[in-house]
Amino acid sequence: MKSKVNKSAYGYLFISPFFIAYALFGLVPILYTLYLSLTKWDGFSDPVYVGLANYERLVHDSFFWQTISNTLIIWIMSIVPQLILALLLALILHEKFVKGKHFFRAVYYFPNLISTVTLGVIFSLMFDWQTGSINKLLINIGLIQDPINWFNSPWWTRAIIASITMWQYFGFNLIVFVAGLQSISSEVFEAAEVDGATKTQMVFKITLPLLRPVFVFTFITSVIGGLQLFEGPLVIGNGGDGPGNSARTMILYLYETSFKAFDYSYGAAIAYGVFIVIMIFTAITARAYRLKD
Amino acid sequence: MVLKAKKWLSGFLAATMIIVLLAACGKGNSNNDSSPSASPAASPSGSASAAPSDSSAPAKLEGNLVVWTYFDQVKILAESFMAKNPGVKVDVQIFPGDQYETKLMTALQTGQNAPDIVDLDRGYIGKFLESPYLADLSAMGGDDVVKDHIPYVKEYGKSADGKLRAISDNSSPGGFWYVRESAKKWLGTDDPDQISAMVDSWDKIVDLGKKVAKDSGGKVHLIQSAGGLFDIMAYNTQPWVQDGKLVIDPKWKETYETQLKIRNEGVDAKLGFMSSGWGSALNNGDVVLTSMPSWATFMIDNKDGKAKGKFGVAKTPEGWFIGGRYEGIYEKSKNKELAFEFLKYVASPEWQLENLQKTGNMPSNALVFDQNQDSFKMDMLGDQLILKAYADQMKSLPGVKADKYNEGVLSKWGKVAGEGINNNTPYDKVVQAFKKEVKNTYPEIKVE
Amino acid sequence: MKGNIFVRTICYLFLIAVAITCLLPFYSMIITSTHNNTDIAQKLLLAPGDQLAANYERLMHSVNIWRGLWNTAFVTVAATALNVYASAMVGYGFSKYNFRFKNVLFIGLLATMMIPGQLGIIGFYKLMESFHMLNTYWPLILPSISSAFGVFMIRQFVDSSVPTEILESGRVDGYGEVQIFHRIILPLMTPVLATYAIFSFIGKWNDFLTPMIILFDNNKQTLPVMIASLRSAFVSDFGAQYVGLVVSVVPILVFFSAMSKRIISGVSAGAVKG
Repeated sequence: MKSKVNKSAYGYLFISPFFIAYALFGLVPILYTLYLSLTKWDGFSDPVYVGLANYERLVHDSFFWQTISNTLIIWIMSIVPQLILALLLALILHEKFVKGKHFFRAVYYFPNLISTVTLGVIFSLMFDWQTGSINKLLINIGLIQDPINWFNSPWWTRAIIASITMWQYFGFNLIVFVAGLQSISSEVFEAAEVDGATKTQMVFKITLPLLRPVFVFTFITSVIGGLQLFEGPLVIGNGGDGPGNSARTMILYLYETSFKAFDYSYGAAIAYGVFIVIMIFTAITARAYRLKD
Repeated sequence: MVLKAKKWLSGFLAATMIIVLLAACGKGNSNNDSSPSASPAASPSGSASAAPSDSSAPAKLEGNLVVWTYFDQVKILAESFMAKNPGVKVDVQIFPGDQYETKLMTALQTGQNAPDIVDLDRGYIGKFLESPYLADLSAMGGDDVVKDHIPYVKEYGKSADGKLRAISDNSSPGGFWYVRESAKKWLGTDDPDQISAMVDSWDKIVDLGKKVAKDSGGKVHLIQSAGGLFDIMAYNTQPWVQDGKLVIDPKWKETYETQLKIRNEGVDAKLGFMSSGWGSALNNGDVVLTSMPSWATFMIDNKDGKAKGKFGVAKTPEGWFIGGRYEGIYEKSKNKELAFEFLKYVASPEWQLENLQKTGNMPSNALVFDQNQDSFKMDMLGDQLILKAYADQMKSLPGVKADKYNEGVLSKWGKVAGEGINNNTPYDKVVQAFKKEVKNTYPEIKVE
Repeated sequence: MKGNIFVRTICYLFLIAVAITCLLPFYSMIITSTHNNTDIAQKLLLAPGDQLAANYERLMHSVNIWRGLWNTAFVTVAATALNVYASAMVGYGFSKYNFRFKNVLFIGLLATMMIPGQLGIIGFYKLMESFHMLNTYWPLILPSISSAFGVFMIRQFVDSSVPTEILESGRVDGYGEVQIFHRIILPLMTPVLATYAIFSFIGKWNDFLTPMIILFDNNKQTLPVMIASLRSAFVSDFGAQYVGLVVSVVPILVFFSAMSKRIISGVSAGAVKG
């Protein structure tokens, strides 16, 4: 039912703050970046127009392609366990018998309060090769003889970065899931109970299908957020790239090119490349959901 | 209850909005009020008045200076300068290490709120020297100011056309620092000269390191990390980029093989430069020899003077230095004369001696070496005449000009070869990966 | 019934185990801040030490962390308030009004989320320079008006939980459109606004790159930048660094704990119905 009165002028009025502020503070800088991406500029002399040369370089840049797969790998390593954990906890917390729901939810949300940079510092200290507490612990309980050089292994490095992200965001997803669960009318469950449905059946036949919109929400935001992963790998892994550049994400590459090598114009081209990649994956995700309908 | 909460929230929102807007406006205004003092350009007194009241007394200086740096100890320099020149206010702004360069670039590009004096690290000074942002100090008489400076320090502050653009008050020589007690126990002596002789070649270091590892049951290591050789060799090899082409000095191959040997024979403790483990091993002697520059002494725990006489410094197989903070004047600063007076102070033996005494930073002015090398002693080094130990090595290092690529390419080499050492990768493969990295970051360099 | 108890115990154990992993790093951070540097580097620390005061003293000697805390609190509260208010307006506008290009505009709005934040930093700096806003808090506060995520979240809420009839009855009562928004809709949105306010607050609280680039005066600087500068000023001084981290994390933790009942029950009221 859409009985919306035609007050379209007010519609524009209400949405105008976003577009005015974005045009001013977002769009202008981004267009400037677009201009930079068509130039050669090292930050010292004036930019020189070079056409699409930076984009041509980008397409042939094997490092850039590697960063795309790195980002995807790290994202998958963090999102899959993260969503499963969040969903599992949400289902448990939704049970009537659980006491202290409020306390648990609050505690699970704690990690989300700390900045990734801080977390990165804590984790890199914990996993330090020679002095980290993880290695000390493992040696103390006799699991290993010699300390493990975590950040010398591409997979460990990625796993540690992924676990930071996971640890940081599962509480956020949990809250969203709990909200979704609570929006499902309890009558549905009561009716199912009367019909003699088991707990498992209820979860798979009722809860999960009804949670679908919530999944779409979390998944799309996490695609967008996850593909922009940056601070974790910046702080973790020696110099940020990980062994064989295995932990260099797209945005990290953008950051290094622009602000470490000061190749602003190429950095700008990378930025637009990243934008396109994120758009493609968001479209794929949205498509995948629609197809299921 | 729910209604209350709702009212509470909308009331809260409205109240904060008002407070915020008022406060933000207030901030904006107060900032405008204070901005003249923050940017000396606008202050009329912001120039050096070079009218000496007495021929023997230095000129009375007046005005404000803004210095941007990444190094905490610049505060000491500013305080010392202000104590000598009560009419001058030096405002030192310190920015976090990693982001300082980004910040500097953005500010210099636009010229807004830019400082009068900028600190530049060796690691990236090359790019700035060739930029239009640094004032030509030669034109202001800078060459005379640095005439007694050690050649390699002096040269590094010059642009390709030979003009002086930045001055440093430190020479950052590197040496093997050791805890005397630990050296006595594992090397049998704590005499700097004897130890220097024991480690005057890399082969000797490997052999000695094997012995230390064996004697201690693998608990104590001779050196901190095989990676330390990158820094030492960096100043004993050819520049990486010559005539636009990548050149890999054959010495790197030798060095890499030594590094592999060091790692595989358990000679090093595998502790990265400046990591927490590195710091504690330096202080407790679990690593016998720590190769580090003179400015790294702030890593030594000297609380209540407990490091008094604890350390000694021996020579590394080859002379080297690492890091080094340079100061230049922003080309568009309205305060150049006063800023130049500040740089003169930076270059002077007077400040450098004070700095040496207060912080242990090695001077760049050879006069300080000459005048004090038979008398200067550092608390933590006991009786060792530290200036003397460094002097010859320092003065003989060749003067090399900074270039745009050298430090950046070196760090690529450090990264790739460092991984190679961890994985025992053959040299050829390391070179291959290295070339790929260079080609990628600097497409304009020819790589064969 | 026995099986039931067994399952419940497992559930509780699981909940508690996850809770512990969430709290452990905080515990370890606080414990670490009370030890000296040698112990921090070498030992596995589980019990509190006695070096807190000494570490704190060295920290304060170099940076005024409380000043940074105040600066961050000011900027964050200002930006959050603006952000929440503007997002509520925009989300509401998209939900309850019909106008041309509505869908195109909404997709455009969502697309802004995909643009990496680091993309425009140089242009942003140049723009702020031309506005004479460098070294002020304006560039940190004003851009937060436009948050696509906030609009997205609030629109979802309004779509599902604010019946259009309420608007109609407001109109019948003679309210203007803007009045309707302020008097009727805004109070109804409280749950989602509270939730979003927290998300926005945390994002702003941890903002690093923009203040780093925009602010020059050390005593205007925000907490995350100060923490980062600690890392360079105290390369080896982990004790002081950890005290800095504690100062930066504990207030927000306390604030959240105090507010969490309101916030989380806010979400529970049905923030996301999709």
